[in-house]
Amino acid sequence: MGLFGALEIAGSGMTVHRKWLDAISDNLANINTVRPTSGEAFRQRYIVAQAVDYGSGQGGVTVGAVLYGDPQGRLVYNPEHPLADEGGYVRLPTINLGDQMTQLIMAQRGYQAQTATIERAQTAYNAALQLGKSA
Amino acid sequence: MIPALSALTGASTIGPSSGIGQALGPVIPTSIDGQVGLAPAEKTALGGGGLSFGQILANQIAGVQNLQNVADLKATQAATGDLSDIHDYMIASSEAALATDLTVAVRNKALEAFTEIMRMQL
Repeated sequence: MGLFGALEIAGSGMTVHRKWLDAISDNLANINTVRPTSGEAFRQRYIVAQAVDYGSGQGGVTVGAVLYGDPQGRLVYNPEHPLADEGGYVRLPTINLGDQMTQLIMAQRGYQAQTATIERAQTAYNAALQLGKSA
Repeated sequence: MIPALSALTGASTIGPSSGIGQALGPVIPTSIDGQVGLAPAEKTALGGGGLSFGQILANQIAGVQNLQNVADLKATQAATGDLSDIHDYMIASSEAALATDLTVAVRNKALEAFTEIMRMQL
């Protein structure tokens, strides 16, 4: 951690939240992706945040892992679909739209919180630079 | 280093209990003898054997140069479309600007102290 630790730590938080937004965007984009029952359904993405130990002199957060949802998905009866099997079923992902929208708000607010930290840190550093200027 | 400049290196020999007469004490004999260095006792008080002010400033400028290089690299990446995070560039440029301001402030303070001493009536 250098001279501007708060800025770098907030930056790592922004990166994690940006990746979370990317994952949600991917999940929402594929919410209606149909696959044949012979293959896997689109697997929902989960971003796992991993804290960087503050005692190590680093601080901040990284993406520890990207996990994937259920490959089984849910079977939907749609015999007119070109990808339907003999029984008339296709595979759709198990993504919950309401859940994704909630996570979208959380990711957005988290991202905004990091920008607030950066703004405050910049104000604080600038205030420190003004020390003794008036004397 | 002259005791008057010791505040710039983060250490001060002037204790809270010492008056102006005591604080000026070491200055007068050293200027008469033409010595710029500190007495051995003062060196240990300042954590002697440390870097001189010039070396500290040179190190700091090298650090600022590094931050500027990082900001330049991010700017190039932003222009070529290789930058994955917008905030990476904004943070790098903020850090470079703040570090430059800090270096300029330190330089101004040192120059201020120097001109103050040069103006001194002996």
